[in-house]
Amino acid sequence: MRYLTLVLLNLPVIILALANIVTQYKMNKITKHRFGYQILVWIIILIVIVSSFPVYNYIVGEPIFDSRELSLFDVVQTTAIVYLFYIVNDLRRRIEKNEKIVRDLHQELSIKLSRGGNGKN
Amino acid sequence: MVTKSQKKVCIVIPAYNESAVIGSVVSEIIKALSTTPYLWSVLVVNDKSKDNTAQIAQKNGAIVVNHILNSGAGGATATGLSYADQNGFDVAATMDADGQHDSDDVVKGIGELIKSQSDLMIGSRLIDSKGMSRVKVLGNKGLSFVTLVLFGIRSTDSQSGLRIFSRKALNQLTWKSSGYEFASEMLWRARQKKLIIDEFPIKAIYTDYSKSKGQSNWNAINIIKSLLKQRLVEMFE
Repeated sequence: MRYLTLVLLNLPVIILALANIVTQYKMNKITKHRFGYQILVWIIILIVIVSSFPVYNYIVGEPIFDSRELSLFDVVQTTAIVYLFYIVNDLRRRIEKNEKIVRDLHQELSIKLSRGGNGKN
Repeated sequence: MVTKSQKKVCIVIPAYNESAVIGSVVSEIIKALSTTPYLWSVLVVNDKSKDNTAQIAQKNGAIVVNHILNSGAGGATATGLSYADQNGFDVAATMDADGQHDSDDVVKGIGELIKSQSDLMIGSRLIDSKGMSRVKVLGNKGLSFVTLVLFGIRSTDSQSGLRIFSRKALNQLTWKSSGYEFASEMLWRARQKKLIIDEFPIKAIYTDYSKSKGQSNWNAINIIKSLLKQRLVEMFE
């Protein structure tokens, strides 16, 4: 039941992230290379989440990992990491977009405003 | 009349508080360009200096673009190259405002770029590092090594401020960094855009003034930190 909860909680955000990446690619906002890379990252996250049941079953009792079964705390923690990863990645993208706008605006304004001061321009 | 061989060349000099030497730097480069067949302009990007860098540069014959905000070396260089792109220059060259670069090397680099069909030509101080202090050589070699490890770009002098850009490079090259780390990032972006990068040897002129204005080796740590952060962040982009 806990494994199912983990998958159900995380699946929507992973699907949302994948949908976002495909939309950005289709709208030519990211390159093919970036598209491939982002898809790969989120597919790995998806595989890790979905395969958590067999992975936990395997590592329970293994001396190297010395793990217990998935607890409710593990479910919350893993879900939080995936959600935060999604949010941070999205925020970073927005900040970079805004930075670029400010940078371009500053550049354009500086060139345009200086035009009057130079006899040669 | 403008003939086919008359390339339009723009020399971009990003400057911050360089009133002591900017006049001679501008005069020297104008003198060197006057002997060439190019149609040229010398542009000083005044990065909100607190002294009269802009006035002195203009008085000595440069076009001046005044930044509204202080943006760092990367920002000022980007503004200069954007100006060159907007005004249809065929070639642009960036050089330091502290008098570290020989004007003849700039002219030589422009010729090399036109001859070699490269898109980005870097003036390397380390092909022949005579006159450079061991500490500077070590710092620059270290940063070139970091550029190789992080971005896979082999350059003998990844931090050189003397760079020549083709029309294609002017049109396609953009970068995000505003500080000194832009020098390495620019090489990375150029490779992403599949631009041809080449190098040519230059000599560095180290005066007491340029030594006092140059980057401290400690700044290399900041540069490495920024480059590493950028490389990691873009893994998820």
